[in-house]
Amino acid sequence: MSAVAKKAVDKFLEVIDADVAAFAESCVHCGECAEACHFYIATKDPKYTPTYKLFPLVKAYKRHKAPLSGIKKMLGLVPAEVTEEELREWEPLVYDSCTMCGRCTLVCPMGIDIAGTIRKMREGYVAAEIVPEGLMAAAVNAERTGSPMGVTLKALSAQIKHQEDETGIPVEIDKKGADYMALLSSMEIMGFPEIIGAYSKLFKQAGLTWTISSKAFEATNVGVQIGSGKMAKMLVQRVVDAAEELEVKHVISPECGHAYGALRWAGPNMIGREFSFKVVHIIELLDQLRSEGRIPAGDKDTRRMTLHDPCQIIRRGGLLAEPRRLLDDSCSDFVEMEGAGIANLCCGGGGGVSANPRAEELQLAAFAQKLKQINDIGGVEAVVVPCANCRTVFEDGLDELEADFEVIGLGELVAETLAAK
Amino acid sequence: MSFLKFVEEPLFYFAAAVFLIGALWRVIGIIRIGRKPDLAPAKGSGTAGFIAGNLRHFVPRNIFAKRTWIHIIGGYGFHFGLFALLLFAAPHIKFFDERILGISWPALPRWGFIIAAQFAFAGLIMLWVRRFSDPVMRLIADWDDHISSWLTFLVMLTGCLALQESHDILKAIHMLFVDVWLIYFPFSRLMHAVTFFLSRGYTGATYGRKGMTL
Amino acid sequence: MLHRLIAAIFFTALMLMSLSTASAQSVRPPANAVNQPDSEQERVGTSNTLGTQSQSDYWRALRHGKSGISTTGRNDGLLIQSQGEDWRLIRKQYILKYSGWVLVGVIALLVLFFLIRGRIRLKGGRSGKTISRFSLAHRTAHWFMASVFIMLAISGLLILLGRIALAPLIGKGAYAIMASAAMQGHNLFGPLFIIALIWLVWLFIPGNFLKMVDLKWLAKGGGLIGGHASAGHYNFGEKVWFWFVVIGGLAISVTGILLEFPWLVENLLFLQLSTIVHGIAAVGLIAFALGHIYIGTLGMEGALDSMTTGDVDINWAIEHHDLWYEEVTGKPINKSGEDSDDDSPGHAQVYTQSRS
Repeated sequence: MSAVAKKAVDKFLEVIDADVAAFAESCVHCGECAEACHFYIATKDPKYTPTYKLFPLVKAYKRHKAPLSGIKKMLGLVPAEVTEEELREWEPLVYDSCTMCGRCTLVCPMGIDIAGTIRKMREGYVAAEIVPEGLMAAAVNAERTGSPMGVTLKALSAQIKHQEDETGIPVEIDKKGADYMALLSSMEIMGFPEIIGAYSKLFKQAGLTWTISSKAFEATNVGVQIGSGKMAKMLVQRVVDAAEELEVKHVISPECGHAYGALRWAGPNMIGREFSFKVVHIIELLDQLRSEGRIPAGDKDTRRMTLHDPCQIIRRGGLLAEPRRLLDDSCSDFVEMEGAGIANLCCGGGGGVSANPRAEELQLAAFAQKLKQINDIGGVEAVVVPCANCRTVFEDGLDELEADFEVIGLGELVAETLAAK
Repeated sequence: MSFLKFVEEPLFYFAAAVFLIGALWRVIGIIRIGRKPDLAPAKGSGTAGFIAGNLRHFVPRNIFAKRTWIHIIGGYGFHFGLFALLLFAAPHIKFFDERILGISWPALPRWGFIIAAQFAFAGLIMLWVRRFSDPVMRLIADWDDHISSWLTFLVMLTGCLALQESHDILKAIHMLFVDVWLIYFPFSRLMHAVTFFLSRGYTGATYGRKGMTL
Repeated sequence: MLHRLIAAIFFTALMLMSLSTASAQSVRPPANAVNQPDSEQERVGTSNTLGTQSQSDYWRALRHGKSGISTTGRNDGLLIQSQGEDWRLIRKQYILKYSGWVLVGVIALLVLFFLIRGRIRLKGGRSGKTISRFSLAHRTAHWFMASVFIMLAISGLLILLGRIALAPLIGKGAYAIMASAAMQGHNLFGPLFIIALIWLVWLFIPGNFLKMVDLKWLAKGGGLIGGHASAGHYNFGEKVWFWFVVIGGLAISVTGILLEFPWLVENLLFLQLSTIVHGIAAVGLIAFALGHIYIGTLGMEGALDSMTTGDVDINWAIEHHDLWYEEVTGKPINKSGEDSDDDSPGHAQVYTQSRS
């Protein structure tokens, strides 16, 4: 086995816990997962079958870690050693054609969490340093500046200033003892900075104190996307340190996909201890504030709208009802697309795929399925997309495919439809 | 010792031992690999999720069912048919009573047995045909899948051939295949019959802790 | 690894074959056979073809003459059915005598055809480009039917011809075992054939109705005489096979049901006719199926792809089902046999042979 392959295999074996072992032992090769994967649906290429993407990991498990593998090895009944060639052949499958959206997990009759296992498999790839260039660049940026796009505090400050001018509400940086510390994704800061103004309005209305940390403002966790537990932990630690230094009670995870899962569900496990603050998703928070009557709704937006369910927030995050409750109050002509909810199609660009130029064509093919869902409704004027990465995917995709409706964030929409004072 | 006695007694006891010990070894082995405790504050119950996950995955979701109907009909037909005939066919109940459990229970009428068997055969044949016709399954299938399918089919077929219950040799051939199947079971993908509750459960528990309703 | 497994199974089978003759003594009559003393039978009430009336009493009465015997069960008061003798003779002198030879003859014809004509190759060779011909549903239905049919054919032939062809070779004891197995298998899989037939007909009937172009195809012998013969989705030969399956399959299904559930009819004649029709239709289907299997595998290059991957080479489509190709792709084929899409890559030599 080559040194590169050995690093990958050793890491595979390290990340395989009882869950993954049960998964590897239960797959009956039925192929239903293919029917759920938007990349397979878009291309009909069997190699995009989700369970197929896991083959090198499963091979390593069956050879080295599976119960009874000892006996089977004596009879020559275990798979061959994973080779470097195989790992490289699988790289585009593991990175370009998987957004870890979890639809495959939902359809699998054996309940195998293929998406979560891809996340673990990527650890092996990072250990062997077989990673797509685009993602590598984002990782380097994140290590340097905290932001995968290299967004610095300077850039953020400029955007904040702009929003303060727009709204007339000051934004406090590094305020100790605030109720909430907000994180933002680089996509939002550079592409949709209105969200900062929206936060100002909403939190002022609700009467809660909030702040942004100058040391840890980035929500996006590239470590999770690329599969580096080490980097993921470092990015989480940054946030935890800042939050605990500022002694805030809550940290807000913004409208960003993997950020929520990384901080809320994986975070404490990554740093090995519980947090002294609570992590809340902005949508959860807004839903809670609304139900408490602190941000009453005003006039509704009358445009015909539908909701795209970001995978990491709804299917993998558990927030199915909250966005819909907020939308009920905010718009008068809301239509669900077919297949909406927990089984909705991925936008095609999450999990590091949108940062990977090599995957562009595949991503666009997958997005075309999403566009079809929206077009099938008819007359849609705007799509609510509560994830900044999905929004970018949408905007690029709509441009390529020449479709014509607006893409808006949920926080913004709620802020715009707040009752006037 | 006649051939029939051989396959019904010493070989059967050996095969059953391999089956039980092997299956247990494998399940316990999986659980022993262990998992780190979850430090993130849970929104719901992991245990409830474990059970819910197991139950929920029995029912195909509407949105996916449209695409995989052959598989669902064949799969359920085969499994239900097999379950019915294995546990409720009179000759099987007799075998369990006399040789393993010492208790008996009501059997299906003969025609019920036959119909269950027909469902089981139809399902299994459909599934195996799909395995070599569908490009996805062709890519991911391996020798274990094919041997498991064929071995199970041969067990069922030899059972069917012995239905007149007149010739010991036919009964013996069926029993021989059963013994081979039992020995093959713990080393193969047939283990899914046992491990499925673990994989569904672990995923269900993860969902449960996130407060997700499946 | 695989060959070891196959060797093991083969060896086991051989071992079992030799054992089967030895254990002939372990034959037990079926649970519902009629070999009990009269008093016991009356007491137990074992069912037989005449209800609970003892058969041995009956025949004694018939042979030695006794009045006042009554039967239960058959209401027609028929004790001896003389048509039964005709039936037995038809079966013996025609069906049993000739059906085996019909099948042997078909195989011989196929061998002859292969030796003379050889494999029908693609004139233009493979182009490497394919189009989709049969969906996954079509292929699954077809192979499901094929599996069930093969099992029924083998068990059926064992039942029909086993006593005259096989028993002399392996002995009556061994044949009895095989006949029992064959009968059980045949009866269980029979109903599955009906389901397979319905599914198959449902999927394959579109495109299988006869059209004018089929007669032209027939006149050219399907291309054997007079060069290229146009055909749509299915050619005349395939359509004949399809309708033969429909009619033969229907006959076999109806008669099969009567034979498995004889109480559905009152008159024994129906059952006798059923065995004859069932036998003839079965032999006919098997004979035709042999030809079908030959053409689909050995006989014609590129044909098997349509049922395995579902996609066929474009040249195969143009040579054998040009009208279908045009309809599906929207590309008319010009006179020299090329389709109009000449600048597509990988489009190697298409069939361009002139009528020579």
